[in-house]
Amino acid sequence: MNMHTHTPIPIADLRRSQPRFQGIESGHRACLGCGEALAARLVTEAAGPDVMIANATGCLEIFTTPWPESSWRLPWMHSLFENTGAIAAGMEAALKAQGKSTKVLAFGGDGGTFDIGFQSLSGMLERGHNVLYVCYDNEAYMNTGIQRSSSTPHAAMTTTSPVGRDRMGKRHLKKDILSIIASHHIPFAASASVAYPSDIRKKVRRAMEIEGPTFLLIHSPCPLGWGHDGALSIEVARLAVQTGLFPLIELERGELIGTMPLRQPRPVTDYLRLQQRFSHLFKDDSRAREELEHLQALAERNIEYYGLKGNHDDPCDSEGADTVRRGGQRWA
Amino acid sequence: MRQALEGSQAIARAVALCRPQVIAAYPITPQTHIVENIAKLVADGKLVCEYVSVESEFSAASVVLGAAVAGSRTYTASASQGILLMSEVLFNIAGNRVPIVMTCANRAVGAPLSIWNDQQDSMAVRDAGWIQLYCADNQEAVDTTIQAYRIAERTELPVMVCVDGFTLTHTLEPIDMPSQEQVDAFLPPYHFARTLDPMKPISLGTLVSPDFYPEARHSHHQALLNAAAEIVAADADWCALTGRSQGSLVQVEGDADASVAILTLGSVIGTLADAREMHPELGPVKLIRLRAFRPFPTETLLQACAGVTDLVVLERALSPGGGGIVGAEVKAALFDMPNPPRVHNFAVGLGGRDVPLDIYPRLLQTVRSQSPRPFAVFDVDLDKLPAEDR
Amino acid sequence: MTELTRGAFAHPGTSLAFKTGSWRVQLPIHQHRPAPCHNACPAGEDAQAYLGLLATGQAQQAWEAIVRANPLPAITGRVCHHPCESACNRGQYDEAIGIHGVERFLGDEAIRLGWAYPVSQPAADARKVAVVGAGPAGLSAAYHMLRAGYRVSLFDSLPEAGGTCRMAIPPYRLPRNVLDAEVGRLLATGIDFRAQQQLGRDMSLNELRQDFGSVFLAPGTQKNREWSIDGAVPRDLHVGLDLLKEWMTVGSMIQATSVAIIGGGNTAVDMARVLKRCGVPQVHIITHEALPAAGIPAEDAMRAIPREIAQAQEEGVVIHPHRGILRLILRGERVVGVEMAHMKKLRRPDGRVERVVFEGTETVMHVDQVIPAIGQQVDDTGMAELLHRLPFFSPDPQGALPGHPGVFVGGDARPDRGSVSAAVGDGRRGALAMDRFQRGMAAEAEVAVAEVGFEQLNLNYFESAPRSEAPILPPEQRRGQEEIEGSLEPNQARQEAERCLSCGNCFACDNCWTLCPDSAVLKTTEQAADGSHYVFDYDYCKGCGLCAKECPCGYISMQDEA
Repeated sequence: MNMHTHTPIPIADLRRSQPRFQGIESGHRACLGCGEALAARLVTEAAGPDVMIANATGCLEIFTTPWPESSWRLPWMHSLFENTGAIAAGMEAALKAQGKSTKVLAFGGDGGTFDIGFQSLSGMLERGHNVLYVCYDNEAYMNTGIQRSSSTPHAAMTTTSPVGRDRMGKRHLKKDILSIIASHHIPFAASASVAYPSDIRKKVRRAMEIEGPTFLLIHSPCPLGWGHDGALSIEVARLAVQTGLFPLIELERGELIGTMPLRQPRPVTDYLRLQQRFSHLFKDDSRAREELEHLQALAERNIEYYGLKGNHDDPCDSEGADTVRRGGQRWA
Repeated sequence: MRQALEGSQAIARAVALCRPQVIAAYPITPQTHIVENIAKLVADGKLVCEYVSVESEFSAASVVLGAAVAGSRTYTASASQGILLMSEVLFNIAGNRVPIVMTCANRAVGAPLSIWNDQQDSMAVRDAGWIQLYCADNQEAVDTTIQAYRIAERTELPVMVCVDGFTLTHTLEPIDMPSQEQVDAFLPPYHFARTLDPMKPISLGTLVSPDFYPEARHSHHQALLNAAAEIVAADADWCALTGRSQGSLVQVEGDADASVAILTLGSVIGTLADAREMHPELGPVKLIRLRAFRPFPTETLLQACAGVTDLVVLERALSPGGGGIVGAEVKAALFDMPNPPRVHNFAVGLGGRDVPLDIYPRLLQTVRSQSPRPFAVFDVDLDKLPAEDR
Repeated sequence: MTELTRGAFAHPGTSLAFKTGSWRVQLPIHQHRPAPCHNACPAGEDAQAYLGLLATGQAQQAWEAIVRANPLPAITGRVCHHPCESACNRGQYDEAIGIHGVERFLGDEAIRLGWAYPVSQPAADARKVAVVGAGPAGLSAAYHMLRAGYRVSLFDSLPEAGGTCRMAIPPYRLPRNVLDAEVGRLLATGIDFRAQQQLGRDMSLNELRQDFGSVFLAPGTQKNREWSIDGAVPRDLHVGLDLLKEWMTVGSMIQATSVAIIGGGNTAVDMARVLKRCGVPQVHIITHEALPAAGIPAEDAMRAIPREIAQAQEEGVVIHPHRGILRLILRGERVVGVEMAHMKKLRRPDGRVERVVFEGTETVMHVDQVIPAIGQQVDDTGMAELLHRLPFFSPDPQGALPGHPGVFVGGDARPDRGSVSAAVGDGRRGALAMDRFQRGMAAEAEVAVAEVGFEQLNLNYFESAPRSEAPILPPEQRRGQEEIEGSLEPNQARQEAERCLSCGNCFACDNCWTLCPDSAVLKTTEQAADGSHYVFDYDYCKGCGLCAKECPCGYISMQDEA
């Protein structure tokens, strides 16, 4: 029985009375199934209205603010690509001087965080500004058309790390940004994934409570850039975590204090085969086979290094899993 | 109260009087003493503000931008390489129409590396959309810095106060520092109409399509042109308060009927003024100092050039492959005059080369004996160059 | 004319002016589809619906949901072979939901707490209908006609209602007090029950057709099928069902040392277990069918309920599958043994099924009783003109008897029946058809709706949880009439209900609302028209399909944009 007749509930009123804070409105120009749009929505939802946002150039900024429209219901500024950490630091200094408690958030993609924006991020962290920096990691310069960044995983295909006779995608490894962040010994840093929305919200709320610099790396699938259907964004993100390729960890002052354990680590091929950017690894080619082994080894190294292997009775497993309950009572 | 102060020190105190809430500091010769002096004021509790030691000039400009849109008065300073590094942010600040004041301690730009004074740095960013004011001496640096905050906050345009590096920043001068009461009377508390506020959330820095972009640029250009009135008013009001005027848009000295004039920016005017006093026999010469370079004070310049037959434009920078920068702009301004003066355009003192007093007679000699060449580096010594590089 | 703002700043939330719904090529819709348990239930119960109610603590509403289809849950919750559990999608994840146990629990609660059946008294001038046979099919038909507002008269040849439940299901499977309570409460809703009225003897079919608007026949199968081995029949032949009935009503049983029961249905198994209880040392079941197991096709398996077979074996009954009797070994006219051989029913190329004996496998077993329990057929007394000597009626799927408008049939009297729950389902369908007939409307077939398959669920959002099991008497304690299977405790029943994956029906988990990148799923506290708690804002929905993919219960489908 199909029912897509409109309900008698007036939608505009309904939209205004949703039981959650809406920091980003509908009507933005993100692609279908955009992981970054979802991540930003979840972050602003958990952070609440008393924030000020500095946003780097990139997909999120572009698709939310085509003048005269803006999707943001929060005070927000986009300056440049590489200075988000510094803009946020300036906002924080001003609010501090004014005696205000509004929290500053900094949003940037992996390009604007790992590469061009790294310096200003490092400076902001070192000086201890009370800023939550959120990096939406879609693993390439997506806004400009899918070019490789230091966050692009090894062997992934991008337009500047294409596959050809002499190359099997990106030669270099994915930059271990969290280890670098860890060296700044900030109060809290964590990785998260759009496949685990309650976990994101928990980590955002944690960071909001802390006076000092905090950093969140959120894995955000890009259907266009990674080469999968928009409907699979959550599935892909989930597999990235469950294979061990994108471990979910929490650091305090540089020390590992928490992980999301994996009960049954999945083989990396389960994750890779869903994405066109890894399709060359499934050809009948000895280099491809070797790369698959390499990626599997990287995943296993993560599992070992971060101690990710959980077991069924591990109490932490339930907290990490996004079990649904009748009536929607998510744990966060 | 009059006291002998190093230029940097005086500027630091002037900044402090303006009650900035956020200061971004990054060292670069010859601006370093400014930020050091400010740091000491903060450490001694004489200036209460957030002092942010940033990790590059790019961040210095970005921090003040963030602070300004978050509702605080700000300050930073830079020079040379730093100005160029932050140039992207300078365009961004101006395009967003954010009121910020910055000192540029004019210094040559590498390569070749030079720590000494010329005006290549501020000239290189003349298109960023900032108001640019050039100071003749350290008293003017103090007064102009204070005026700059009012000008910026009224016009919603950032102001770059250009101060010749070493020549001004590192020299002692007797300075009349205004009192806190005077400055408080002159400068209202910081106000920015588009301050980011969770209670009234707006989005700054949007993407503008071709449908509206030319309008944005037009309005920015207009705003700069219209800022001339605020520059004039600020100088007049400050003069009423302190008795000191710094020349408004253009400072003109000398015989109004002089047919020879020398136009320059910044502290070299002092050398020219001293030299003119020493050489009355060389006849009346008008000394024209552009205080405002942006907006370019066309009207005032035209008035100053009335009756001038030979105008020497003496500048502290050049555009390689083009020639003089100030010279080109002056010529363009004078182009439609019924009888425009002949313009003799020279760059002098590049990279801190000393400008001696005898430049004055030599310039006048050149004016009398030669027809104007488009442009030349006046004090170049070609013997120091191999043949193919001359 | 839009005017440029100073610095090109933008006002909050103004992106709402851009309706991204125009980008869609497919759109999400809420589509309630039956869970496999619903489609599998012979009575037509929507297990997902009542499990959902119990999971939210609404036990009475859950029972009411059951009895909208099946008025005898305390009975079926004990004797049904629960195909719902076999179909349950959770069985492919960890363990199937214990639906059967939950149904029994709710049935018992209703009796204990006196929950009222959702029927009201019919109008004094309501039309009258007749139901012949007060077994589960007849009781169900009578109940559903009463619900539809008719005055119902229910006839049975026996003194008490219950049919096979009373006559042929032993108390250790279905306690008498439960049977009496359930049937009694049901009859008390206003059904005019006329006991000891036999069709043909006390009233005729024509009289019924004249006095009542329509008639539902649920006579069951009261006649034993003919049985002989090579034409030979022991002098003291006892038919399994008769023995069973006698034991249940009177309590007496034949004496024997070793008994061979022929047949693979519930009667054979019940008979075997009763004999064991009565002290017969050796009890064998001989059947040409196989023991039910994974991989055994349904048509080859014994018809009896698998757990009954398993319990029988625990109690010491020996089962000989794929065997048949070739010869009775008689001494005089008494049986002293049987010659058996391996035997299977094989399907021939022309589609017919043939019993094949495998030469060389003959053995002899010493028994002193051979009891056939090979099935029943309809006793056509008073109905001969409808049956034409066939063993079963041939009504249409809704129960209407072709050529006899106003006459409907259900229960064991139909071919391919043989369970209480199927009989209950026949009663409901027959009542629906009778109602339409009475109102002069054309018959309406029940449309099969495709159910939610396992692959349409998203199991990433569930955690493995073990199934609650009700207590069972160990075999050594199964002596007399005490019920073998116990009940789930209330918290266990609730836990089972909470394990339900809610296939095809929204349980308001918030996934779609949480995961839409475009905030195009809105949550409501009122129920939306389609029964869920979410509304798609099609002005902004881009049709990415994330909601459908991540819906745990397969409630959201993507449809091509028209």
